[in-house]
Amino acid sequence: MAGLLDKRLWIVSGKGGVGKSTIAAALALRSARAGRRTLVCEVNTQERISRLLGHQPVGPQVTKLEDNLWAVDVRPQEAMREYALMVLRFETLYKTVFENKVVRYFLRFIPSLQELVLLGKILFHAQEKRPDGQPLWDSIVMDAPATGHAITFLRVPQVLLQTLPPGPMTREAMKMRDILEDPATTAAVLVSLPEEMPVNETLELHSALRDQVRVRTHAAVLNAAFPERFTEDDLETLVDHPELLRVARAHHDRAAQTVLAEMKLERNLHVPVYQVPRIFTPGFGREAIEQVMGHLEPLVTGKAET
Amino acid sequence: MNALSEALSKKRVLVCVGSGGVGKTTISATLALRSAVDGRSSLVCTIDPAKRLANSLGLNALGNVEAEVPPSALEPLGVKPRGRLHAMMLDMKQTWDDLILKYAPPDKREKILANRFYQSLSSALAGSQEYIAMEKLWELRTKRDYELIVLDTPPTAHALDFLEAPNRVLDFLDNEAAKWLLTPALAAGKIGLSLFSLGSSYVAKTISKFTGTETLQELAGFMMAIAPMNESFRERARGVRELLEAESTGFVLVTSPGRERLDEVTHFHRLLKQNRMEVVAVVVNRVHPMPAQALWEEAKGLIPTRRAKVEETLRELTMLAEQDARGIAEIQAVCDGTPLIQVPRFELDVHDIGALWRTARYLIGDEALPSPAALSSGETRR
Repeated sequence: MAGLLDKRLWIVSGKGGVGKSTIAAALALRSARAGRRTLVCEVNTQERISRLLGHQPVGPQVTKLEDNLWAVDVRPQEAMREYALMVLRFETLYKTVFENKVVRYFLRFIPSLQELVLLGKILFHAQEKRPDGQPLWDSIVMDAPATGHAITFLRVPQVLLQTLPPGPMTREAMKMRDILEDPATTAAVLVSLPEEMPVNETLELHSALRDQVRVRTHAAVLNAAFPERFTEDDLETLVDHPELLRVARAHHDRAAQTVLAEMKLERNLHVPVYQVPRIFTPGFGREAIEQVMGHLEPLVTGKAET
Repeated sequence: MNALSEALSKKRVLVCVGSGGVGKTTISATLALRSAVDGRSSLVCTIDPAKRLANSLGLNALGNVEAEVPPSALEPLGVKPRGRLHAMMLDMKQTWDDLILKYAPPDKREKILANRFYQSLSSALAGSQEYIAMEKLWELRTKRDYELIVLDTPPTAHALDFLEAPNRVLDFLDNEAAKWLLTPALAAGKIGLSLFSLGSSYVAKTISKFTGTETLQELAGFMMAIAPMNESFRERARGVRELLEAESTGFVLVTSPGRERLDEVTHFHRLLKQNRMEVVAVVVNRVHPMPAQALWEEAKGLIPTRRAKVEETLRELTMLAEQDARGIAEIQAVCDGTPLIQVPRFELDVHDIGALWRTARYLIGDEALPSPAALSSGETRR
């Protein structure tokens, strides 16, 4: 089984609230530990990842967090400027035109331009080269938006290609689409919880990524999984302690749900499903991320756990 | 009687806001259900395609038109509802099309519906969800006579997108720049490259370099086609804005107790206040209650292996409860002055009518979790 280390662009998505940022942070950290120059990209968020890793928020500039690990929060205004500069080349031209009220106004009404520049900036990093021609980044970890927004976001190149007459924007869109569709470069990691709605949403996300964006799902992560603890025997003997039985049964039910969720994901996605148990640490920071990272080892390296 | 139960009997519109995955849809449905049972004709308008929610309300599916929840679906509650409950799911594309069919001049309808910009705007592209939710709310509020409408909002990445939706439309329509760009063409009754040479050819050429000339032409064509609708857009956008600020409208800010949500809650709360919108309550959903002290005592009587398993579980629950309590205390601090209502995490997920009903008991204060302050004062044991 190939690991994520064979790919360069790792897209992490899933339903809102399932722990995407946690998983993205752990994956980025693991990639950096493997000695790969790693860039973790958040998309116009309140910046969780740098803080989860115990660093100050980095803002819209690519900033080094620690050995082999850089982070950036991709934001529309800055991305728009960089994108415009890439197309227009000259800063003065950008200033006279893009800081013109009328133009700014007009651009705002071009549908999806914002998403195009956000995605465009991330995929621009995917194309950056070192002087020797090798890619600048060995891994780019994208903490993508939640399901519905993720599809809209990643589909922007296709939609633009259908909407716009050929021109500079469609040329960019085509390049972007090619990177996303290349299975040798790009892999999606779908994060879920052992609950019915997140699992169903994961299946929908998988189909939408496959059919509408043509991004391949590499693996699923079942986050906050409950290991089995209480046997049927345990539960039977606790009948005399109704309150304790309630506590034990709740745990038992969650563990059963975890098994069901894993089966459903495996059966429908046809990719490996990796469990990350619910982590119990006071406060959720660096220490927790390191723990999560340990559970993602086989996903990253492709080697079975020993 | 708590802040939410008062809102349920007095407000005409409740808007549930919050980030994705915190249970907004469930809380919205619960509020409408409770209000209907208490005697007010209510509607919940949801965004998430949550089939289980539809099923739990006794509906096969939720569509873009309102459907009455059949009384049989409410039978398991063991109470006789005094009002009627309706539910619908917002279909973005359909709502856009309806708008065009209703407000565009008859001879322009087909042209707009066929325009590529319109098609992507109405279905595939980001950013129009927030606006269309507002349009739907306006229609429901002005054209129907529900005593209470509960609106579940799209899982916006940013609170601002949602609150600014009507402003953006007003801003667009009222903008001098757009008028300057469009007016000569409107007067000439035609559109084309000449439009851009009317302004500054240098500017137009540079935008073209960026977007392509044809793109600009098509966009201008689209703007021309919708121009006759501007006045009605403007009128409704103002109406929505007034509606959101009205005394009869309240916002319910939904969150989970985790500290990672704190920034978002702070942001939402501040924006709502800044915009003169009333936050009725902050609902903290899926709170882990602190396991009772007596359970530890009781566990001592178990055989060692079993006792170890139970104590392990209690320790984990205690840690979750402590984490949640810290998060809630912080939320309370940043939302000073706004009532905070906790809903516990239930053993299993909430998607049947009985579970919605149980959730409602916490929302309106029939049952309550102890305040986090009470928790942190009692030292926890290991």
